Amino acid sequence: MRDLVVLGGSSHPQLTRTICRNLTIEQGVVTSTKFSNGETSIEVQDSVREKDVFIVQSGCGDVNDNFIELLIMIAACKTASARRVTAVLPLFPYSRQPDVPHAASLTGAPSLATKKDHYTFDSAPGTPRPLSRNDTLTGIASENDSYPNAPPTLSLNTGASNGLGLLGKATINNMRPTAIERSQSANRIFTPRSIVTNSASTNIPTVDAYGKTESGYKQWIAQNGTLIANLLMTAGADRLITMDLHDPQFQGFFNIPVDNLYSRPLLKHYILDYIPNYQECVIVSPDSGGAKRAIAVADSLGCSFALIHKERRAKVAKAPPSTNATSTPMTTNPNAILSSSVAGFNSANPSMIATTMLVGDVKDKVCVLIDDLVDTSYTITRAAKLLKDQGATYVYALVTHGVFSGDAINRVNKSAIDKVITTNSVPQIERMRLLGSDKFEVLDVSRILAESIRRIHNGESVSMLFDHGW
Amino acid sequence: MPATQNSIKLVAGKSHPQLCESISKKLGLSLARVGAFQYTNKETAVAVGESVRDEDVYIIQTGCGENNINDFLMELLIIINACRIASARRITVVVPNFPYARQDKKDKSRAPITAKLIANLLQTAGCNHVITMDLHASQIQGFFRVPVDNLYAEPSVLRYIQEHYSKKDLIIVSPDAGGAKRVASIADKLDVNFALIHKERQKANEISRMVLVGDVTNKVCVLIDDMADTCGTLCKAADILMSNGAQKVIAMVTHGIFSSNAVEKLNKSKLDKIICTNSMPLDDKVTECPKLEVIDISPTLAEAIRRLHNGESVSYLFNNIPE
Repeated sequence: MRDLVVLGGSSHPQLTRTICRNLTIEQGVVTSTKFSNGETSIEVQDSVREKDVFIVQSGCGDVNDNFIELLIMIAACKTASARRVTAVLPLFPYSRQPDVPHAASLTGAPSLATKKDHYTFDSAPGTPRPLSRNDTLTGIASENDSYPNAPPTLSLNTGASNGLGLLGKATINNMRPTAIERSQSANRIFTPRSIVTNSASTNIPTVDAYGKTESGYKQWIAQNGTLIANLLMTAGADRLITMDLHDPQFQGFFNIPVDNLYSRPLLKHYILDYIPNYQECVIVSPDSGGAKRAIAVADSLGCSFALIHKERRAKVAKAPPSTNATSTPMTTNPNAILSSSVAGFNSANPSMIATTMLVGDVKDKVCVLIDDLVDTSYTITRAAKLLKDQGATYVYALVTHGVFSGDAINRVNKSAIDKVITTNSVPQIERMRLLGSDKFEVLDVSRILAESIRRIHNGESVSMLFDHGW
Repeated sequence: MPATQNSIKLVAGKSHPQLCESISKKLGLSLARVGAFQYTNKETAVAVGESVRDEDVYIIQTGCGENNINDFLMELLIIINACRIASARRITVVVPNFPYARQDKKDKSRAPITAKLIANLLQTAGCNHVITMDLHASQIQGFFRVPVDNLYAEPSVLRYIQEHYSKKDLIIVSPDAGGAKRVASIADKLDVNFALIHKERQKANEISRMVLVGDVTNKVCVLIDDMADTCGTLCKAADILMSNGAQKVIAMVTHGIFSSNAVEKLNKSKLDKIICTNSMPLDDKVTECPKLEVIDISPTLAEAIRRLHNGESVSYLFNNIPE
């Protein structure tokens, strides 16, 4: 193909190679290295003058490194007089961040510093939560030790707080600072010379279960979608290809064309071809947000559908409702089964109750969980457990983007999920090795991406790919 | 005059907590409750726990970290954006060491001008003003459409030399031709001679040949540069100066990056001492390298923040150290 150059970032070289093979072109040569001070260095080796350049970079691994690398590559091509630069982001970085304040037991992905050795499938993921001022001060000394590996800010706080959230009340005493440490911290608070009350690295305020700080200001987390879109446009991207955007609204953040491809045809084909008696199986959405996506698949296959609904609310003080902290199924509605767990921070704080509710019948059925993204895998493993508890015989998990960050692979391995099917929108070879091919299967998206690149390059319609895949 | 009184909000990035703390102490202000953290998928997020509406926000983040310079950069962009959507009146980024400052020109075909990209990214995120220090090339100021205050560590360096060395047998040496101007200005102010080392570079971070211009026999040589990265230049320069009969060699740099095995090289080198500012965190390096001495520049940065907030002139700081 004339004037077409496909370049690859360092996030997923294998995908770039297969895309180029599908397009039957030579991959453009880019050298991406790091200077000794850690700065990313890009050298585009082939001429891109007046060429149509596609840069493949997935939002995985070291997300920030890869994203900055992509921005530099786009800028490099732009300054080297490329005619058009298209960023191909199979997994869009920063597409999914919790929009709720990050209080103790509210929903949201856990931070990198989360304790990883202890977890159960019932408990809610621990979210980073700083301690009160007293605890903050105790933390300063030991924080420097963990500096290079863990992100410095929350390593100490989350170590303690998440530990509490995950382990429950039984181990609270172990995680708390000892009496001596406490008294030391008390002394330090009252030293008059220090004006600065909160150290630089521990300045995330204390929040209660409703996300309010002491001053009554409701803490919030910045949403990065618009920023990421603006940064890509600033770097000079003229067009964007991505896949199964978590929020379709993201397209609206851009002033450039964004082609959001779907992996749905791919997943559908898998169900048709590899799940025996697929008409009998139940398509399940692990949360209400993905219901639309799962229903679309269920409808087109003529399968039945079930939904798992998650609810979190603060426990009403001293008046436990019927759903409190028990796994007694509700008897009023046979199809709505509740299993709840207390993911409380400690007994003094108002606890949050995470309730999962299955809507639909899965007894003696094969279940297919469908979701767009698995990150920490808390949602999907908990959903699988609920399905098995309700009598499902076999649980498939079909996900487009298998990020599996942190400890997720371990969790999946121990979970009730019988088989995970994901795509190679992010590198999966290592996961394949860990989980084994009878528990883990990878579908290839390079053909969809390659075909969309070909069509965009030739100015053909892309919409056919939305329905039929490739 | 602004319609209502607003105040300074100091926001600390995670790159250099000590500097943030000492700036906040100098200003007598506590740091705002805005902080960044990372999710397990390595995406950065910023929690805002304090109102910054209509306030004058200063975000302190330096470009450092061999493994996470890009993380700090993204963190900075996200904090700027968070403050912007929280309706801050003005957002000033304080970047003592500007990241990617050395990639400031298209030195070969298809090379990216990353410094320009970073400037654009910062502005896209929403920063209204930039405070930095000893930019590698002052032309980087031109990459911005917003005002840039490029502060100098020179006054601090001058004072250190005056306090520690006698003028009599002193000579100031520039380790490369590019720094000649900076060195000449310091030599003028101290009223001493200066020498120059010319180097030929074939690849980044590698030097091939060096030639000394000037007489350094029996002199105390002070090498002055804006940054020390792998320290190859400084160590070789020290070798050349010693072999040309120098009494001893000390080095003064603004930004001590000291990447890869720089500390090891310095320990083995003929340098008597190396002095740099705390524009980057150096705690672990000070313990590893007994030759390393650190000058605190937080007074200059704090004073710049105060002056900027009150609408006073910053140029005083170009020649003086605030008390």
